[in-house]
Amino acid sequence: MVALIVLFLSGLISLFLAFAKKPWMVLSTAIAGLVAGGISLFTEYHYGYQLVGYEGLKFDQFAVFYGLIGILFTLLIILSGYSSFKQNLNHTGDYIALLLFSLTGALCMLAFTDMFMFFLGLEILSIPIYVMAGSKKEDNRSTEAALKYFLTGSFATGILLFGIAWIYGGTGSFRLDEIQTFIESNANHQPMVYLGLLFLLAAFLFKVGAAPFHFWSPDVYDGSPSIVTGYMAAVVKLGAFGAFMKIFGMTFGGLHDFWAPAMMGLAMLTMFVGNLSALRQNRFKRLLAYSSITHVGYALLTLIVQSDESAFNLWAYLFSYGFSTIALITVALIVNDSEDRIESFRGLIRRNPFTGFVAILALLSLAGVPPLMGFFGKYLVFAEAISSQPLLVVIAIINSGIGIYYYLRVVILMLQKQDANAPQTPRHSVPALQFVVLIVCAIALMFGGNMLIF
Amino acid sequence: MDGRWYRWFDLVLSCQNLKALELLIIPCLFALIALVIPRNAMRYYALIGGVVSTVVALVHAMYFIPTTAYVSLVDPQWTTTFGLTYKMGYDGISLLMVVLTNVITLLILLSNFNKELASNRMFTIMVFFMQLALLGVFLSMDGLLFYIFWEITLIPVFLIALWFGNPGRKPALIKFFIYTFVGSLAMLLALMAIKMGIGGQAEAVSFAWADLMAVQLTSCSACWIFGGFLFAFAVKIPLFPFHTWQPDTYTKSPMAGTMLLSALMLKMALYGMIRWMIPLAPEALESMELPIIILATIGVVYAAILAIKQNDIKRTFAFASISHVGLIAAGIVLWNMDAMSGALIQMLNHSMVAVGLFLAVDIIESRTGLREMDQLGGIAKQAPKFAFMFGVIGLASISVPLTSGFIGEFLLIRGVYSYNWIIGLIIGSTLVFGAVYTLRAYQLSMYGPSKNFNFPDLAWNEWLVFFVLMVVIVILGICPQLVIDFVAPSVTRLFEYVESSKNIAL
Repeated sequence: MVALIVLFLSGLISLFLAFAKKPWMVLSTAIAGLVAGGISLFTEYHYGYQLVGYEGLKFDQFAVFYGLIGILFTLLIILSGYSSFKQNLNHTGDYIALLLFSLTGALCMLAFTDMFMFFLGLEILSIPIYVMAGSKKEDNRSTEAALKYFLTGSFATGILLFGIAWIYGGTGSFRLDEIQTFIESNANHQPMVYLGLLFLLAAFLFKVGAAPFHFWSPDVYDGSPSIVTGYMAAVVKLGAFGAFMKIFGMTFGGLHDFWAPAMMGLAMLTMFVGNLSALRQNRFKRLLAYSSITHVGYALLTLIVQSDESAFNLWAYLFSYGFSTIALITVALIVNDSEDRIESFRGLIRRNPFTGFVAILALLSLAGVPPLMGFFGKYLVFAEAISSQPLLVVIAIINSGIGIYYYLRVVILMLQKQDANAPQTPRHSVPALQFVVLIVCAIALMFGGNMLIF
Repeated sequence: MDGRWYRWFDLVLSCQNLKALELLIIPCLFALIALVIPRNAMRYYALIGGVVSTVVALVHAMYFIPTTAYVSLVDPQWTTTFGLTYKMGYDGISLLMVVLTNVITLLILLSNFNKELASNRMFTIMVFFMQLALLGVFLSMDGLLFYIFWEITLIPVFLIALWFGNPGRKPALIKFFIYTFVGSLAMLLALMAIKMGIGGQAEAVSFAWADLMAVQLTSCSACWIFGGFLFAFAVKIPLFPFHTWQPDTYTKSPMAGTMLLSALMLKMALYGMIRWMIPLAPEALESMELPIIILATIGVVYAAILAIKQNDIKRTFAFASISHVGLIAAGIVLWNMDAMSGALIQMLNHSMVAVGLFLAVDIIESRTGLREMDQLGGIAKQAPKFAFMFGVIGLASISVPLTSGFIGEFLLIRGVYSYNWIIGLIIGSTLVFGAVYTLRAYQLSMYGPSKNFNFPDLAWNEWLVFFVLMVVIVILGICPQLVIDFVAPSVTRLFEYVESSKNIAL
């Protein structure tokens, strides 16, 4: 609870500090706010007291651990986007404040105890991102992305509300614990509950970008400014998946037999759609979007298989995925041309060895090559699922095999020599903050996996 | 104390046998220090690294008492929550592979010594990196650790081939990477299945080899697990229908890459069959034995015929490699003492022959710029030393008596023959075919009318490589008992172990 207030206030302060036209002040406020928010969140867990100021939010272990990586990712993203934020002095504060507000929403989505709070959190998470997606105002694609995200997002929100209403009709409560007891104590439910559950499922699959509700994500990822893409892939997904786990994994766990088959089919579909579409992409962020669809498919395995470790495994998976994405987005910010073609990575390892090295680590980690972090994340998810859903794991493994192709294509491009007759691309200098982000990501990707499975 | 940090601390303490861990630390250190070595000293530096690690491995082998069951290198007294134990150690079979790895790495560095490649920093780092990963594979006594090292080996060899390979290598390398990666994923699946339990079988305590062995499999799940391992190993060996990546990758890689692939990476898969695939799922061996032997036989004959038809000398030897290793794989699944000794000797021999033949190919290619046999010829007159050495290696490849190849192939073919005489007869044709393609390649390139190129004879480092190979081949050919005595107690123990775990299952 304190963390929420701290983050919100630091967002507010950085909004007003922007009038001073000194971007470093905004940045330091944001960093201080994030660090303070993280510490207060951690102490809430560490000292074991639950500050239940408002009964709609409860920072239990789940919320604290998911929230901490949300804060960490936001910090990394703000650091890596700082150089592009400060280009437009009038809006530096806006960008950073919007990201912080959105993070507040993500924390609400991780800590809610009733559906109201969940809905509020979702909106607080989404609305700043709708704005951020369109923040490259001179670019038509950015505007298109914002509009598309907004329209489809509102539609999904509508469906979600509709689902909540049906569930309220069926169970008579908005509170998660009451719904859970109701579901578990009664054997037969009214059709309303099932209908509502399906609406909820659709809305969630939309938010996390699973097939067949994924069509918005490539366009939005592609059109948005890179840094917003990174935020959407790392933090928005984290919030959405956290809430997904809370509602489906915990509250509606009793109806697992009802929704699991549907989700199983969709998870398989998601993996294949993401992977097969990614094979022929030429734009980097589109590739990232399709690869993120595939990763959503893998992450859905943790929801399908219910066990004590599900929440941890999902956390570990999103943790490893977030680091790879942030590293790649940072590299793209440094290197990519305005067209965002994959081709602009050619010869990166020679032009800019450190950046190239981190990018290759991130790509291989996404592909699941040991001993990088992505492998351990994947391993945890698959190992948990294999005893109850062997078929699903086999399909996921096949998809990992397909996936290696397009990651490898980019890796090879980075390792290749540049054509002699091609115009020489200048060596890119890496701003200090982005360098820090890259170093953090590299360390996490190389050694984080070992810590995950300890 | 926080549990996780304590474990890290304990991991360091548990390397009670620090003397033994040096096997892994040496290549690691040499790879790291190579970052700061000046470019013109690089080749000497690499050579020193190779010599040091070889000496260490040989010292280990000297102090190893064959009857000792198992020497533990890292043995933490805990397991992580998810079953990774970091257990490492060796018995006779592993140690043989370790020595082989270090010797072959040294020979690879030595044969590259007078090339431009040797002064390349990344090349040196990658060779040591590869050595480290290979040693990790051979020393791991933990399933997940084995898998992790197994996958890591892919990266240095891929980079060596990508950075220093021949033109047009990209598609071949992508194919190679995806093929082997998918194969390994099947192995990961099998490992996860055996650890987490499928089909009602109980969960294993950890990924430690002994714990995985203790799992009682139903015959159905045993087949799946065996199949998963087999897929990974069949791609790497390569067995018949999974071999399509191999000739292109061998041809497009630089000499060092080809040598690493054929002399060492392939042995990883054969070692994996001995250490992991069969012991973990012995229940499936009975039903999978025949299919594997048949595939191996098809591979032996098919690849030999293709080798005869090639014009590119490197491709000939690439197919020859498929042909030879098929026989070894067949020998391993027979799972008896004679065939296993044959397989182990033949593994050594194949590594020696592979290094020798690919070095010969590279010598020809770098001096004439050609690999096509119909354009070569008459080299023997200009380079008699080279012709002699190439001839010796060629004879070892044909398995002429007094070379190590003879002992290995004899034991293997005898094993297959006693298993099924028809298959034995077919697989025995490898002796004839081997003579045909090796002698054909030798004759077309070395004899005949002299073509117009200047062919200097062997440089000292090339001569030294050939000489070492020749000595080892002849010693093993005359006295194979050296190797057999070294590994026999370990092999017997492995057999007993597997037999006892099978009995409980029944």
